[in-house]
Amino acid sequence: MNALLLAVDVPPISHVTIWGSGPLGFNKTAAIYVFATVATILLFAVGTRRKDALVPSGILQNSAESGVGFVRNQIIMQTMGTDGLRYLPYLTALFFFIFFSNITEIIPGVQFPANARFGMPLALALLTWVIFNVVGVVRQGPLHYLKNSLIPPGVPKAILPLVMIIELVSTFLVRPFSLMVRLFANMLAGHLILVTFGALCAALFAAKITVVILPFSFLLLVAMTGFEILVSFLQAFIFTILTAVYIDSSMHPSH
Amino acid sequence: MRKRIHALIAVLGIAFTVALVAAPAYAATTEPKYANQAAKECADKLAAGGSIDDCQKAPSPLKPANNEIIWGSLAFAVLLVAMWKFGVPAVKNMEKAREDRIRNDLESAELAKTDAEAERAQYLAQIAGAKEEAGRLIEEARQAAEGVRADLIARAEQEANEIRARAQADIVNQRNQALAQLRAEVASLSIDLAGRIVERNLDSDINRQLVDSFIDQVSGSN
Repeated sequence: MNALLLAVDVPPISHVTIWGSGPLGFNKTAAIYVFATVATILLFAVGTRRKDALVPSGILQNSAESGVGFVRNQIIMQTMGTDGLRYLPYLTALFFFIFFSNITEIIPGVQFPANARFGMPLALALLTWVIFNVVGVVRQGPLHYLKNSLIPPGVPKAILPLVMIIELVSTFLVRPFSLMVRLFANMLAGHLILVTFGALCAALFAAKITVVILPFSFLLLVAMTGFEILVSFLQAFIFTILTAVYIDSSMHPSH
Repeated sequence: MRKRIHALIAVLGIAFTVALVAAPAYAATTEPKYANQAAKECADKLAAGGSIDDCQKAPSPLKPANNEIIWGSLAFAVLLVAMWKFGVPAVKNMEKAREDRIRNDLESAELAKTDAEAERAQYLAQIAGAKEEAGRLIEEARQAAEGVRADLIARAEQEANEIRARAQADIVNQRNQALAQLRAEVASLSIDLAGRIVERNLDSDINRQLVDSFIDQVSGSN
């Protein structure tokens, strides 16, 4: 139960930092992000080390190549087309960074997804916001970009002011916010579910009669652990594909 | 590999069964009653000389709670075994299929490249042959034209010579004719003149012979 309370209650930063405090304090979340960064770099550094080997061999080379192929074919080509291939490095790095910082929630001893804290999801969402706005301004020009963003084609003039306000809010405010909340909330919810079932198993284990329920609770914990692997992948995929969709809407306003 | 997986499943099953049976007994031995685990940990900290502020601190900034680690790790281990048994072979199959597909694609590309190079060499040979043939035809045509030219020139020269010879013969004939006419005319005029001078009708044939001999003498003296 203590673990569950700790999961829900965000303690003061000074209580969870490992080194230092304040904005530069280093804590478990930061350590997981360092791991995610190193894992992403290592995957591609080691996976693409054998540059002369056209036929892949080994899990790392296959994973690195399949990962790039997945982002290219299932995200970029589905949303942006060939125009978006210049964003392949960014989107691939984004996908694997989010995935590695999510998957730690099932690693024994760590059992915490770094994206269950909204700092990095917010930073990544703001980065996406900056990128799609810069792309829109550069590709369409500032005035055309603003016009295409705020005035959808075919809207009657009578309701145009209302639509413009809605578009302004949805495009420039809600997009980064929803991107951030979707990732953060899903990972926090998954973490809470795992902690809840872990705490439930511990409580049932210590109980007298209700211990018979323990196997069911434990099986659910196993199932939810597997489910969280899927969620970790899915949330990385959703964040990346939405980033691609937003950039595409700035590149091709008629879509 | 299969034996090890079975052994691991058996060990986990035994541990789980023992824990299931031992749990009520374990629960019965815990004497002090606390509202929850957090309260117990807080009481332990206070008993160890800590302050109430320590109860608010996270047990560790890095490590999750012990219960969470134990049950989470168990669930992870079960999932790992299941993944090892079902997931890993599937991933290996996918990996192998991918490798085979890429290897086949590369081999096909290599084959296509070899074919294309062979075709290219064949085309180049054909082009070289065609160029050689064209050169030969041009040389033959040049030689034929040269022959025709030489033949035409020879015929033209021959015709020119014949025309020149005919012209010279004509000139000689004309000259001879003109000389004969002139001679006849001069004779007639001389006879006529002599006749008038001597006013004597002479036999014309005799006179003509006289005049001719005179002219011959004159031309011989010239």
